[in-house]
Amino acid sequence: MSTAGLDPTGATGEVVLAAREVRKSFAIGERSLEILHGADLALRASERLCLMGASGAGKSTFLHILGLLEQPTEGRVILAGEDAWSLPARRRADLRNRHIGFVFQFYHLLPELDAVENVVLPGMIARGGPRFDRSAARERAENLLDRFGLSERLTHRPGQLSGGERQRVAIARALFLDPQVLIADEPTGNLDTQTGERGLDLLLAEQELRGLALLLVTHDERIAARCERTLTMEDGLIQADSAHPVPH
Amino acid sequence: MYRTFLSWRYIVARRTNWIGVVGITVGVGALILILSIMAGFLAESRKTLRGSLSDLIIEPFMIARHGGSTLPESPAPLLEYVRADPRVAAASAHLTWGGMIVHGNKLDDLIRQNPRTHEDGFVQLIGVDATDELATTDLGLALRRPSRLGTTLVDDPEDPFAPPPGTAPGPYAWIVVGEQLAYTHSLRRGSEINVVTVMPDDDGRVRDANRKFRVAGTFRSGENEVDKARIYIDRAELADFLGHRPEHIGGRADHFSQVLVRLVDYPRDGLQVKADLARDLFEAGLVRDPDAGEVKTWEDHRQNLLGAIENEKTLLGIMLSLVLIVAGFTVFAILSMLVTEKRRDIGILTALGATPAGIMGLYLMIGFWDALLGCIGGGVIGVVAAINIDPIEQALSRAFGYQIFNREVYLFDHIPSVVDPGGVAMIITGAFVCTLLFAAYPAWRAARLHPIDALRYE
Repeated sequence: MSTAGLDPTGATGEVVLAAREVRKSFAIGERSLEILHGADLALRASERLCLMGASGAGKSTFLHILGLLEQPTEGRVILAGEDAWSLPARRRADLRNRHIGFVFQFYHLLPELDAVENVVLPGMIARGGPRFDRSAARERAENLLDRFGLSERLTHRPGQLSGGERQRVAIARALFLDPQVLIADEPTGNLDTQTGERGLDLLLAEQELRGLALLLVTHDERIAARCERTLTMEDGLIQADSAHPVPH
Repeated sequence: MYRTFLSWRYIVARRTNWIGVVGITVGVGALILILSIMAGFLAESRKTLRGSLSDLIIEPFMIARHGGSTLPESPAPLLEYVRADPRVAAASAHLTWGGMIVHGNKLDDLIRQNPRTHEDGFVQLIGVDATDELATTDLGLALRRPSRLGTTLVDDPEDPFAPPPGTAPGPYAWIVVGEQLAYTHSLRRGSEINVVTVMPDDDGRVRDANRKFRVAGTFRSGENEVDKARIYIDRAELADFLGHRPEHIGGRADHFSQVLVRLVDYPRDGLQVKADLARDLFEAGLVRDPDAGEVKTWEDHRQNLLGAIENEKTLLGIMLSLVLIVAGFTVFAILSMLVTEKRRDIGILTALGATPAGIMGLYLMIGFWDALLGCIGGGVIGVVAAINIDPIEQALSRAFGYQIFNREVYLFDHIPSVVDPGGVAMIITGAFVCTLLFAAYPAWRAARLHPIDALRYE
């Protein structure tokens, strides 16, 4: 078991997302291949955490488990004080909807919806809350997009937007329900350096402004340098956990 | 919420979905239209087939077999017996025989007659007592119904065999002919026709007879078979023509083939009166066998035709249901394609908080929209087409220069159609359930997609 990832900085903020002893195996024919060998993680509110590692190190699998998209073979994921993988699927989906915002490398917007509709989508999916107020949600999405410099692109569909614009719509969607945790998987990996830099600036500015916990997966050292902690994954384990000052 | 919104967006934005909608529209529309026409055929058949008959038909086997007793040749005792039943409203005796209309007097004329239509000139001679007949069957209506072919109706429908006013008196009896028969043979009021027939004489030999009659006017029953071949004539005149001996009061020949009976309430009493009459008439010696079908309802009499239409309706319903199944398969194929194509969207929705049940609901909703739009479209098209089938057929026939519905072949002069709201509701419900069943498997498959596999699908 590795204890790296459990925050060596001694920070005292509330832990909003934690992984304990997470293992993941995949069946390949009759064999079982273990990808994660007992990974731990503690992510605090307002913390910016970077997860790095070579391809095949298991970081995507770990990210998916933390994002409640993939079930671990063993171990626990605690989100908003709840052991997420012990909950029924419906409750877990609700937890994911309300507490996690995803930003994907390939944006993953729905092509049939315009920018505003894509942003509003998590609100439509949300259950258990007050009755969905479409016009209020639309207004909120428009304000977000306006702030992200997309006021002229509200009714454009993803196919009519540039890569940078799509990424900003994806960030707006991730922030729509005010989640506690933002998970970004190579958020600038599909953009040129300049556009990627602007997208990252926006993401980090919003994270700071809202006091969100950010878990960011990247291969880029420069992006990692803008995070407070960097976890390095190797062979299914968190091998290094380094805290460093962040240039804002 | 998102299921309704997103499924509708998929329907609107993706043209392939409309193939499924169109398929259901065609299936539902065709099913409603065809079944309405078949129901119309059945209803119209019942009306017209009954119209020239009545509620019950009593047809005694007049010729004694195996040395059985002889039944009375006159309908009087039978009529008296039947009319005594309070459930009977009226009764009329028929004398029925066949003959041919001949233009001219020679055999050659008979063979090459009627070059215009090549019809054989066969006619059905129905001898009736006008007052009884008018009280028992729909002949009165047929005598008043305006002619489609411009033929002249009788002057007095209450006394159809009376000489029309202004006609010169003559030796020949007056008859009433079907409008198509009149049209085919160019008969007008006052025209003389020569009818030829053959019959057995008292020695059992076949002899022929011919006689001239004068046309008093025409009738239109709406039943082609009747309108093109039937001649109504006074029963005593026909009996006289056929050589029956005048054996009753007044020297009138008084033979009959059948007695038609109209009941006070046929739907209520029909079967019971039929059974009672069959038994009682046998006991009274007026029919030969209580179980041989000498007393029939009009439906028994036309059973071959009514049964055939019922069968056709059922078979067409089954065959056209296959159209709906094909449409269901189309929805199945389109949704399966959509699930494969939209794997990534399924992953995104799951990442945003959708449950597998929600994903399944989303794809079922697409099936629901397909079904709803298809059923509304098909329902409206089917009902409107069924109500207006006659003008539609006429417009199409004009456009293509080809008579689609040949009125000479069928019994009716228009395409009958009856829209049954219960039937329409059943078709729409069936189409709905069928479509949702076909949508269920792709929806279930979508729900089982692993979100990560779906998101990796780039």
